[in-house]
Formats: sequence, C-alpha cells, structure tokens
Amino acid sequence: MKTTLIILLLAPLLGALYQIIAGSRFPRRLAEVVSCAVILVSFVMATVAFFLPGRPETILLYNWINVDTFSAGMDIHFDALAAIMTLMVTFVSSLITIYSVSYMDQDLDYSRYFAYLNLFVFFMLIIVLADNLLFLFLGWEGVGFCSYALIGFHYQELANARAGRKAFLLTRIGDVGLGIAISLFFVTCHSLSISTINAQAATLSAGTAMTLGFLLFWSATGKSAQLPLLVWLPDAMAGPTPVSALIHAATMVTAGVYLLIRLFPVVSRTPEVLLTIAIVGTVTAFYAACAAMVQKDLKRVLAYSTISQVGYMFLAIGVGDIIGSMFHLLTHAFFKSLLFLAAGAVIHALHDERDISRMGEAVRRHLPVVFLVFLAGSLALGGEPPTAGFFSKGRILLATLQHGGMVYKAVWVGATCTAFLTTLYTFRLFFMVFTGKPAVPHQGFIREVPPLMVWVLWPLALFALFAGFCNLPYLQAGGGWLSRFLATTPGAVPDLQAAPSLEWVVENGDSLLAIVGLILAYFLYGPKNILGWRTADASAGRATALLLSGFGLDRLYATLLVRPYEGISRFLWHTVDESVLDRGLLRSVKMLPLLAGGLQGWTTGLLSTSLKMLVLGFTAFLVFLAF
Amino acid sequence: MIVSYGEILLLAICLFFMGMICVVTRRNLLMILIGVEIMLNAAGIAFVGAALRWHSLDGQAFVLFLMAVAASEVAVGLALIVYAHRHSGTLNGDGYNLMKG
Repeated sequence: MKTTLIILLLAPLLGALYQIIAGSRFPRRLAEVVSCAVILVSFVMATVAFFLPGRPETILLYNWINVDTFSAGMDIHFDALAAIMTLMVTFVSSLITIYSVSYMDQDLDYSRYFAYLNLFVFFMLIIVLADNLLFLFLGWEGVGFCSYALIGFHYQELANARAGRKAFLLTRIGDVGLGIAISLFFVTCHSLSISTINAQAATLSAGTAMTLGFLLFWSATGKSAQLPLLVWLPDAMAGPTPVSALIHAATMVTAGVYLLIRLFPVVSRTPEVLLTIAIVGTVTAFYAACAAMVQKDLKRVLAYSTISQVGYMFLAIGVGDIIGSMFHLLTHAFFKSLLFLAAGAVIHALHDERDISRMGEAVRRHLPVVFLVFLAGSLALGGEPPTAGFFSKGRILLATLQHGGMVYKAVWVGATCTAFLTTLYTFRLFFMVFTGKPAVPHQGFIREVPPLMVWVLWPLALFALFAGFCNLPYLQAGGGWLSRFLATTPGAVPDLQAAPSLEWVVENGDSLLAIVGLILAYFLYGPKNILGWRTADASAGRATALLLSGFGLDRLYATLLVRPYEGISRFLWHTVDESVLDRGLLRSVKMLPLLAGGLQGWTTGLLSTSLKMLVLGFTAFLVFLAF
Repeated sequence: MIVSYGEILLLAICLFFMGMICVVTRRNLLMILIGVEIMLNAAGIAFVGAALRWHSLDGQAFVLFLMAVAASEVAVGLALIVYAHRHSGTLNGDGYNLMKG
C-alpha cells in the first residue's frame, strides 16, 4: 500500500521534472509519451490502491518541520474519500493529458505546457491525500500557481496574462483565510493533522468552531469560485481548453468543496456556518445559471455552469449531506470535463471560433461523434433522467427539502429553479452549437479533428451517462454503492431516509422539470427558431447586457476596490514617491558637492603627497603612543 | 662593547631620517625606493644593536628576515618601476596621478 501511494504521488512530479530539465532537448514525441505515461502510472496505482485492503491508512512520507512542540510532516491519509477522489483525479487527468497531445500539436512550447500539467496533477494529489494541513496548503498553493501559469499560457497576448493574474490574486484572497485557519487550528488543537483535528472537533469551543468554519468556507469560496470571489473563473477560459477541462471544471475548482468535506466535523459544529454555506451555494448557483443563459462565448457558458454546479456542491455541504456533495463532485467532473473537451474539439475544428451564434448544423455534419458525446454531456448537465447529473442533483435537492427550517425550504425553491435554468441554458448551448442556421455564419472551412481527441471523449461520455448508477437511491437500504463506500467518512449520512412518497415526488418532479426545460429550450433556441430568441442580440437589451457581464460584478469590484487602490497607488507614486522622496533626495544630493569641495583638493593622486601624508600619519601615531 | 647602544641608536635614527627625507623630497621613483631601503636598514641596525645590548640573538634573526623582505621588495619595486617607465616614459613620481579624485 505504502509503495503504491508513493508511486501514485511522485510519478507526476517526476514527469514534470523531466519536462523541465530535458523536455525540449529530446524529440517531441518522447515528451508527449512521458507526460501521458506518468499520469497513466498514477491512474494504475490509484486503481491498485483502491482495491487493496487496509484503508484507512496514514503514512508519514517525510518529517518536514520539527520545531519544539510544532511538527508538520508530509503525511498521507488514504481513506475511502481520498481513494475515490484520487481515482477520479487520475482518471480524468490521464484522459485530458492524452487529449492535450493532439490539442497542443501546433504549439512549440509543449514542454512548458506538459511540465505545468504534470505538476498540477502532483499538487492536486497532495490536496487529495494530505493528512497534514500544512502539506495540504502546499498543494493548495501549488495548484493555484499551476492554474495561473496555464491560464496565461499564451502570455504573448496581454488579455491572457491579465486573466491569469486575476485568477491568482482572487484565489489568493481566499487562501489567506486558509492560512489563518491553519494557524488557529495549531493554537487550538496543537496539531495540524486532519484526522486528529476531526477527532477533536467536538471539544472545540463554540466561538472557535464558528470562526474556523467561516475561515474554511472563506478559503473554499476563493478556490471554488463562489460568491463573492467568482469573477476569475469566466476569465480563466483564456487558457487552453484542456486546461479549462482539467483545472477549471473537474479538479481544482472542486478542491474547496473537498476541503470542506475533509474537515466536515469542524464545519458542521456550527449551524450558522452550514446555513451560510447553503445560502451562498444556492445564490451562486442561481446567479451563475442566469449569467450562463445569455453568454455567447462557448467556453464562458461552460465556465458559468461550472460555478453554478459547484454551488450545488456547497449547498449539499450546507445541508449536511457530504455524500451528495461528493457524488455531484464526481459526476460533475465527468460530464463537465466531457463538455469542455468536446467544446475544445469544436473550437479546434472551427479555427478558434468561440462565438456560438456562428455555429450550427454544419458543425454537426462535420463532427458527428463530437455531436453525440456533447449530447451525452448536455443530458447529464441538464439533469435529464437517468443520466449521472439527474441522480446527483436529485439527491442534493432531496436532502435540502428534507432539512428542517423555512430558510432551507426557500433554498430548496431556489435550487430547483436553478435546476430548471440549468436545463434551459445547457440545451440553448447545445441547440445553438449543433443545430439550425447560424445568424452570422462562420467564415472558412471546418477542419478535421484528430482522432485521438475524439477517442478520449467516449469513456467520459459513458461515465456522464451511467455514473449515476453507482449511487441509485431506491435499490438498497443504506443507500447506493457510493453511499455505503463513503459511509466511514466522518460526518457522512449514507442514507437520507426520506419518506418514499417524498422521494418519489421529488425525483419525478425533477425529471418533469428537466424534460419541460428541454422542450422549452427547443422552442426558444431550437433549429426552427420558433420564438426568435435564438437570433436575438444578447447585448441589445439592458437586462441581457447585465446578465452578459455577470451582473456587472467585475465593474462593481473595479469601482469598489480596484479604482480606489489604483488611486492610492497613484497618489503614493506621484505625490509621495516622486515629489517628496525623489525630489527631496535630489536636493540633498546637491548639498554634497559643497561638503566635498573642501576635501577634494586633498586627493591629488600624487605619490609624493601620499608619502608625505604617510610620514605625517606615522609620526602622529608614534607621538600619540609615546605620550 | 666598544660602541654604546645609545650611539648605535643615534646612527640608526640619523639613517632613518635621511631615508625619510629622501623618500619625501625626491621625485624620482628610483630614489624613493633607495630611501625606503635606507630606512629599512636603519631599522636593521637598531635591531642588531639591541641584540648585542641584551645578549639575545632574536634581534639578529629578525634582521635576516628583514634582509629577505627588503630583497624581495626591491625586486618587485624595480620591476614595477621598469614597467611604469616603459609605459609612460618617465620616472617622475608626480607624473602618475591616476588616483586623483
């Protein structure tokens, strides 16, 4: 078990080191093979570790810091939760790395790309496996860095570099929260080990538990792009599409959710924290779904839908159903990375065209396979029964409805509306990309998509359609397979124990809603363009323009934070630095020649003067010694 | 001892000051070097005298070292002077004022 886990963790790091040291010196093919091979090795090891007995297991890799009473080791805690997350991360990232080989075909800077990609997987695995919070923080910052580097991968264009910087700074705001939380954990629990902290969670004082809960939630909002720290994710779409699929859909943005699940005993101590998480999750989900309704950029629609779906995961945590959250995290990883990769294929075929109003029937004719897998992904995202998205979202909605309190009922209403909106915008996207005549046709021919890019879509499509069956609600008492598998996780509720009638109503209501949404989307945005919404200009109306800009959140932050900050900076720069400090210094410098003028005559540089001075100096010295 | 230690010291002081005056007043690099040598030898005489006065050979041993040092110093100094002469064609010490501030 120990060897397996070490290989699992270190293989991507070795791959990254290879790319950094030797990637561009050897043939390109070798670099591609190595980067895929190390991730596949990780995936195989994850599968082996999944089936090996002996969970949960804690392994100390290296005693990192040992000062006085403080000790932080690089240690791994491999329990059921980590096992299934590792499996998902390595599976998705191996497919995406293979896809990248084709996608980055024309790019000369391949070794930098693969280095960051492998490094990202390494840091992500640290987050998933780490038992020590400081070790986890290492991975947490590491994925942030890789995300920054990959968003701005084509840094020659200023917009991309800006997007990377924005993502980095905004997630950093959240990371401050995690840093404070870690310090607080050390002060109160005298340990940074997650298992120890979870065991001690019940003994924390109420105030501390509440502070810690809010701090953890704060850090999770940054990483997982929730309100108010979400504006970086739509801009992060500047990166290459496989990167969006891996980092900004499947793995990194769910790290915040994973952190909250890992430390759920601490988070769930305070009902206020849970309520906040549920409300923020729902509001974010609703907000992003609205914004996704009008976006014209193919990847931005998917970005907003990612924010929205991660909002559901937060909601699930807020109602105390971490298995539901984890279930949605897994299914979302499959169908969203599928959608991103398929979108990448479409964008690739259309020569980097991202505007969905320029796509249409022609895309479907040229890319029939991509059409099929995109349909599978859309069905799952739209929550159509019986795909994976239907079951995972259904469980969250059921758990919310079951949770007592009027506030939670209101949250349930919001979440259900969002589910309906999700179906609408998903199929708006689908219909506009693959059917009908485009308002402004795409100029130029549609090129072939490399076969490798299409093959990797199939496994994901299968999972998007059928992954829901691993957690079927009705078949067994005690929940489906996934629920029973994760039952040992601290704070998990495997079986929601809803009344069968309630469950029946909710499940059928959800199905009905999803199907109605699909039909409505067909009428609104379908190929026939029956109501004319399809060709409507999104930036024309005031309301749609507001939605297009994501409720102007960017502008709000610019007015509230960025402008004042720039103003202060400019004041400090022009007034304080240039006028006061620089000019003052220059003035005082002008005084110096006056002082130096007297001494200047002494340094003649002549040998005779030096010798005379030497004699005089020695004489003075000796006279001083004599008396 | 035929000559008293005081007389020896007087000789050494005279020699030392002669050397020093030579160093300070002359402009020729060679003469300055010779002045330095005279000063060194004056110190040597003082050492030898002191060794005789206190019947200890330490002073004489020191003079041996002093001679070695003086020899090597002259070797290096002369080489530098020859180089400087070749470089600028003058032996006048005040012709070199590259160090002027």
